[in-house]
Amino acid sequence: MSEMEMIERIRELLKLVYDPELGISIIDLGLVYDIQYEANKVYVKMTLTTPGCPMHDMITGGVDFILKDRLDISDVEVDVVWEPKWSPDMISDEGKETLNYF
Amino acid sequence: MFRLPFFFIITGIIGFFLFHGVSILTLFDWLQHDLRGPSGWFYTHLFVLGWATMLAMGAVYQLINVILQSTIYSQRLGYAHYVFFTIGLSGLLYGFVSFKTIYIAGFATLAFIGIFLFAINIGVTLWRARKWDAITISAACAVLYLVLTGLIGMWMGVNFYTGNRTALHESLLKAHIWLGTLGWFGMLITGFSYKMLPMFYLAHHYPTRLQWATLITWNTAIVFGAVSFLLGGGFWTTWFALLFVTLALVFYNIHLLQIKKHRVKPNPGHGIRWSVYAAQFLLLFIGALLIYTVVFPNQLLHPKMVLLVGWVYLGGWVSFTILCYVSKIIPFLWWTHKFGKLAGRPGTPLMADLLDDKKVRMGVITIAFCLFVLFAAILIDSTTLTVVGGLAFSISSVLYMILIGRVFSR
Repeated sequence: MSEMEMIERIRELLKLVYDPELGISIIDLGLVYDIQYEANKVYVKMTLTTPGCPMHDMITGGVDFILKDRLDISDVEVDVVWEPKWSPDMISDEGKETLNYF
Repeated sequence: MFRLPFFFIITGIIGFFLFHGVSILTLFDWLQHDLRGPSGWFYTHLFVLGWATMLAMGAVYQLINVILQSTIYSQRLGYAHYVFFTIGLSGLLYGFVSFKTIYIAGFATLAFIGIFLFAINIGVTLWRARKWDAITISAACAVLYLVLTGLIGMWMGVNFYTGNRTALHESLLKAHIWLGTLGWFGMLITGFSYKMLPMFYLAHHYPTRLQWATLITWNTAIVFGAVSFLLGGGFWTTWFALLFVTLALVFYNIHLLQIKKHRVKPNPGHGIRWSVYAAQFLLLFIGALLIYTVVFPNQLLHPKMVLLVGWVYLGGWVSFTILCYVSKIIPFLWWTHKFGKLAGRPGTPLMADLLDDKKVRMGVITIAFCLFVLFAAILIDSTTLTVVGGLAFSISSVLYMILIGRVFSR
């Protein structure tokens, strides 16, 4: 699997990690800023909808779990950043539809 | 961190059931009577401390991490707080029922020690985090007013025992009620709403200036009112304190609408929706009271008016808002505990799966309706309506709490 294919696979897997309050995946919420894959190592740069989000540990833990569980990878780095700030504009059309927001 | 808020929240729910159970058994004869007397003190303290404060303290322990993004200073101190406060409150309630002043004085002191430990814990946590915004300052003010309320309460309890009931007693009582209701609950609910509402509405880019306007006017009302009561101020000082409360509520309600306007999630959950309606109703009521008492000044501190204001403020806003918020707080607490580590695993339920929001809606609407019946009954002095409304209020409240409590079986 090429690097690009792997990143796409990771992206698909991250669609399984939901914000448990909103019921929308972190991909559809636009929380994932960057995915890198190199030499059996995954780096995910992401944010949360608000600083101090009570779901911080659960969501980052979910990312870590799903990648280790579904890929033969033991090195996953989840980097939570606050810049650029998350904005509702980053929600995908699918996410907006789930939220009933247009 | 799960256990500490859990202890407070579960004890608060027990206090809630106890209050409504005792209310049903006593057929609401106390509802229309002057609350000044041992049975009135028992009911109000069971409601205010056993239910609302117990729940609010649990919510503080749960949400302080969210607000500050840091952990509580000492969990051990939190448990000591729980033990002192719960034993103190239980003994105090027994003291009121049996009217044994030594119990009132002794257990009020224990309850105050619990409050003091809570204040130290929250104070150090806030100080270490050094994050000063309208939310954290509101929380700090709320805890400070709780300490002052507890201190005055303990002072009155000791005075009961020693028989040292001076002329100051009346002033202390008014300041005790004012600081506890407006200070502790008012600051806590407004402050926490600045964090909770945007979270559940998924609101962003909303202005925050009115948070400060609310904080300043609400604090002015509290300090002005408390000093006025302590110095024996008359009608106009009390009325001006009420004017500041009304102003604060205007700013607060406009801010809630600002948050709502910038929402991404149309439905934040019916509990959250109805907490906003409760704030709007409180503003309408206090505004009307302000105008009414200018025309009829002798009505402001009339026992019937005090009873009605007490029910509207504590039952219609404080307790009702807490009931609305528990529909979010308890599923969050339980989901984090039971499913938090399973996030990302297929089949893990969402928080919304733990509690049927349509049933929450039905519950809060029924409780709100029963409260309106009670307010009307007090207003028109109808004993029959009080009994009917009170019974319906207690039954619907108990059923609602059972619905919420079922989350723990998921």
